[in-house]
Amino acid sequence: MTKFHPAPEQLKQFAQGALSPVEAIMISAHCDMCARCQHVVKTETAQQANHVLSDSPSNYTEHIRQDLDSMLASITQLPKARPFRSSRIPPSTIELDGRRFSVPRTLRKFIPTMGNWSGLVGRLWQAPVDIGASGAANFIYMGPGGGVPEHTHRGFEFTLVIDGEFDDGINHYAAGDFIAMDEEHTHTPRSDDPHGCLVFSVLDQPLHFTSGIARLLNPFSHVFFR
Amino acid sequence: MLVGIPLEQSNSVVKPKDCAGEMSEYIVAVAEGRCKRSFARVFSYFAPRLRSYALKQMGNEALAMELVQDTMSNVWQKAHLFNAEKGSPSTWIFTIARNIRFDMLRKLQNRKEDICSDDLWPVLCEQTADANETSLDEQITLEQIGFMFESLPIKQKAVIEAIYIDGKSQQEVADELSIPLGTVKSRTRLALQRLKGMLQDHD
Repeated sequence: MTKFHPAPEQLKQFAQGALSPVEAIMISAHCDMCARCQHVVKTETAQQANHVLSDSPSNYTEHIRQDLDSMLASITQLPKARPFRSSRIPPSTIELDGRRFSVPRTLRKFIPTMGNWSGLVGRLWQAPVDIGASGAANFIYMGPGGGVPEHTHRGFEFTLVIDGEFDDGINHYAAGDFIAMDEEHTHTPRSDDPHGCLVFSVLDQPLHFTSGIARLLNPFSHVFFR
Repeated sequence: MLVGIPLEQSNSVVKPKDCAGEMSEYIVAVAEGRCKRSFARVFSYFAPRLRSYALKQMGNEALAMELVQDTMSNVWQKAHLFNAEKGSPSTWIFTIARNIRFDMLRKLQNRKEDICSDDLWPVLCEQTADANETSLDEQITLEQIGFMFESLPIKQKAVIEAIYIDGKSQQEVADELSIPLGTVKSRTRLALQRLKGMLQDHD
């Protein structure tokens, strides 16, 4: 059961189309998994539409009227659009160790860009995904009992739980949960799920490890960053 | 000039909610009969409003008019994708404009993210327009079917893809693949049996 959702303001801005592409991708992927937020976005969109298109036009000059008139004439010369047909179904799952995971619709287009899984410390597996932006996007799999050492963030980190459950010392997360972290948050993600936990995560700056021997990792934290 | 814009004064005070039924009928008339008169009514109501929105968003007259033109062109060309049960005409037209604006700004800001508005909000895709609306349970089933489809033998997959996704007839598929019609029929039957078997196993 999804318990952690984007903030109401984020959903509103998503409906407006006002978020950055990276944030919009994450919110959209969360909505693919969350009927509640789908509904919120739908309602927000209808409200936005009503609000935005209620503005009755002012300062309407003869010039603008003529422009719109010729625009109308040119549009009605256009043919009807041909039915759109996709020639193939994009892959909808990814595989790790013989297990298949279903990926939310929004993230599927990135599956073909996915790199190989590489094993990191602490029963942690990571496969990079090229979303074309600066920063790093990864599928991260925490094996049972595996996790990431305690760290904080220098920029933002958005995480979406795709399968399984994990705990980060702050909360317990399950499939569909959306987690936003920044400089203010220090956490220690770890999965005690017998099946492990798959998440999708985007970061704009390398992690900063905060405790014990893991601090030695800081010079190498780019490993967790592409 | 065949169709002028009847810019009635009353237009500017009617709220989108109050003319939703009327506008829906006009859009359906465009979808079904390419009715220019109906489109002119939709255009005269929405184009000036979209222009106000676009001016605020783009801050530039030329870009604003481009946004209006692209949006209303989509309404004219893809009216058949409008579904009054899913939302009002103003919501549909707003989502088209929002998507175009998102893509215009991405281009202007030279953003490198490999994402376009259709990926985020599939408003005008026939393939995925419904995926967003289906319940979670149905989505999982669709995903499972996608997975099952992937596991079909290549020859069966090609036939199923051509018939059920590309919408071709069995004869067309036979001609295209240069195989007898009977083979297309048997591959289709075997593939469907297999999918059915997988669905049953799954339950």
